[in-house]
Amino acid sequence: MRLSTYNFLTSKAIKGVKVGFPLKLTIAKQDVVESEFNPTFIERLLPRLDWSGIRLAAEVAGLNDDIPAELPANVAENEELLKKLHHLLLEIDVLEGQLECPETGRVFPITDGIPNMLLNEDEV
Amino acid sequence: MTKDYSSRKLERKQRRCEAIIHTDVGIESSEKPTCFLAILNAGLSTGLTEESVLSNAIQYAPVQQVIMLPNKSYCFLKCDNVNNAERIYNHMHGRAGLEQRGGVVYLSYFKSLPICKEENIWTKPLPEGLVLLPDFLTESEENMLLKAINIEDVEQSDLKHRRVKHFGYQFIYGENNVDPTKPLNEKIPNECDILWPLLKTEMTKLGLPTWDWDVPDQLTVNIYEPGQGIPPHVDTHSAFLDPIFSLSLFGDVVMDFRRGSDRQPLKLLRRSMLVMSGASRYDWTHGITPRTLDVVPSETGLTVMPRQKRISLTFRRLRRGPCDCTFPTLCDSRINAQSNLCPVITDVIAAQLEEKNVHSVYDCIAPHFSETRHTPWPRVAEFLRSFQTGSVLLDIGCGNGKYLQCNNNALTIGCDRSSGLINACLERAKIISETSTNLPNAFRCDCLHVPVRSQAVDGCISIAVIHHLATAERRLAAIREMARLLRPGGRALIYVWAKDQRANDNKKSAYLLQNKALNKNKTTVEQQRQCAAAEVQQQQTEQFEPLIPGAPQLPVHTNRTDFMQQDVLVPWKLKGASVANKDANNSAPSSTYLRYYHVFESGELEAMLAQVPDVELVQSYYDQGNHCVIFERRQK
Ligand SMILES: C[S@@+](CC[C@H](N)C(=O)[O-])C[C@H]1O[C@@H](n2cnc3c(N)ncnc32)[C@H](O)[C@@H]1O
Ligand SMILES: [Zn+2]
Repeated sequence: MRLSTYNFLTSKAIKGVKVGFPLKLTIAKQDVVESEFNPTFIERLLPRLDWSGIRLAAEVAGLNDDIPAELPANVAENEELLKKLHHLLLEIDVLEGQLECPETGRVFPITDGIPNMLLNEDEV
Repeated sequence: MTKDYSSRKLERKQRRCEAIIHTDVGIESSEKPTCFLAILNAGLSTGLTEESVLSNAIQYAPVQQVIMLPNKSYCFLKCDNVNNAERIYNHMHGRAGLEQRGGVVYLSYFKSLPICKEENIWTKPLPEGLVLLPDFLTESEENMLLKAINIEDVEQSDLKHRRVKHFGYQFIYGENNVDPTKPLNEKIPNECDILWPLLKTEMTKLGLPTWDWDVPDQLTVNIYEPGQGIPPHVDTHSAFLDPIFSLSLFGDVVMDFRRGSDRQPLKLLRRSMLVMSGASRYDWTHGITPRTLDVVPSETGLTVMPRQKRISLTFRRLRRGPCDCTFPTLCDSRINAQSNLCPVITDVIAAQLEEKNVHSVYDCIAPHFSETRHTPWPRVAEFLRSFQTGSVLLDIGCGNGKYLQCNNNALTIGCDRSSGLINACLERAKIISETSTNLPNAFRCDCLHVPVRSQAVDGCISIAVIHHLATAERRLAAIREMARLLRPGGRALIYVWAKDQRANDNKKSAYLLQNKALNKNKTTVEQQRQCAAAEVQQQQTEQFEPLIPGAPQLPVHTNRTDFMQQDVLVPWKLKGASVANKDANNSAPSSTYLRYYHVFESGELEAMLAQVPDVELVQSYYDQGNHCVIFERRQK
């Protein structure tokens, strides 16, 4: 699971859960997969992402210092930040770990890079 | 020398195209001029439209017929004599200017045209219940009505969409319905009162029945600028009574009526009145293709008619209560009643059925299934590529992920219920990109509960997934879930298997064409059915015991034949038994698996979509044996 995907996942489908975002992420094993940097792509992607989710991902991945607390207004001109975001969001691949619902504590395991978000019938 | 070389090269190219056409549709080219011309390298798949071919060709000679085949890069013209065909050939062959991109087109003569159902769409009788009364109003009456509806105050929202104004009751597009408890202050203008006695007289003169209610109480005015259209739709059954009246003012247009694979265009001239009743009101959709030229018949064959601004007045009478029509396919009352009252299969049983006859089957056949699914369907890929850089796309039920790499400028995420297939996704990706820079993003979930934030994605697709859900409610819920995920303005594409595997000019879909035994005349469909039924019955008793209590007994479909009913089990044969044994924790040595399918009637997907709030149907079409819709989440 790339951390860009993580930014979209929620546990809101669970009965009673109000927001279910961001999920608590734990990384047990990760890979870094180099990929081509496309500043336009990252810049256009940003408005679709949730900044608190990006911050949390950076924290768990140990890249806290790379990502500012708030999205700077002039990010398009800040190639250095775009590069860091590119690395965080597209190059880190979580292979083993888990996601946890912030409200119910329900755990979704990540195995071989695939989060299992399937819920049981009695949970929805 | 060089000229010779290039003309030889061109000739080879022409022969190649002719050979392709021969294989595709079975007709032969002709060295001698004939009445039948093919444009070899331009067609629907290259973006050519019927109206642009026609407007080009009729500059040189009259044309009787244009045939454009779906997904093909060629098309055909028919003239009434060889001279005319030659004239067109001489002016168009080897010249540029037909396509917007300015490429050169090449033509050849053919001995015949492909067999095509639409041969005489202009001379077919109108859909049942449809009556067109030309010159219904005089010019001064037209002017009086235009003044009365006073459209000056209707603001221009954007150029893409027609403008609308309502009288009597508001038509709520989000719900495709009216709220009968909230009448508008502005009633239908009194000036319209002249229409009803006039209409009754005209209809009686023609010996046609009129209607048994008073006068319309709802009026929608649509203002179309040239180029604007309206997607095919049926006026919500439960919202309005029968018939519906549509008055065309100010300009002419061609309206398309569709039912299943039938299409019928109808030229609506200024000041004509159209009465839609019976089948034409309930069972056919009507729509206007967005374009600036319409193809219409002329004295010498076909011609094009430029669009002008057109104002249509649609008069309707509110229905209070459910619809009682006899046309179930597009009837919202019928669909709702089915999903509410039909106790045959509950949600719990549906889930069990899907678990047994969908999910565990896909897990067992995953490796084999994945091997057989490599090439993306062109129109799905085209949809994915239509999104801008930085878009977020979600493939729900992505299987082995064959659509995850179509648009490299977007963030594409896949999800599926089957862990076997998601793993196949990764395997596949590793094979394609050795550098593995583009590993797919995928997670496991059910399409009824997609764990993704609301209004977060620009596009989503569901290709061959929703037909695996066992009740109408669940299928509708899956579409609602897609709508929930879309940002305002975001678009979604759905493919589901069609019950009718022959729509589109009665050409068999690839699915039916692959019936090899039948193609070689070795056997009949009946024999195949009997054989398969016997074989499967035996396995069913072994493999699927115990049956799910309360689940309906479903018929087993014979592969590569027409579907006999909508809810069926479709066999999947695993060749090497070794694969089956490896994964099946089932002791039966069987290697045929039965997948549950609900195959869709034509129009069924559109009728479901009409019940989803906040979305609008953009396009619906038939592709490769599937019914397909593109819909958009409304802005706001
Ligand atoms: C015919 S395959 C199509 C796969 C892929 N979309 C394609 O076009 O190649 C159907 C897929 O739907 C998935 N599926 C079936 N029911 C599902 C459900 N309830 N939720 C999510 N996926 C489901 C299956 O696991 C399978 O991958
Ligand atoms: Zn009805």
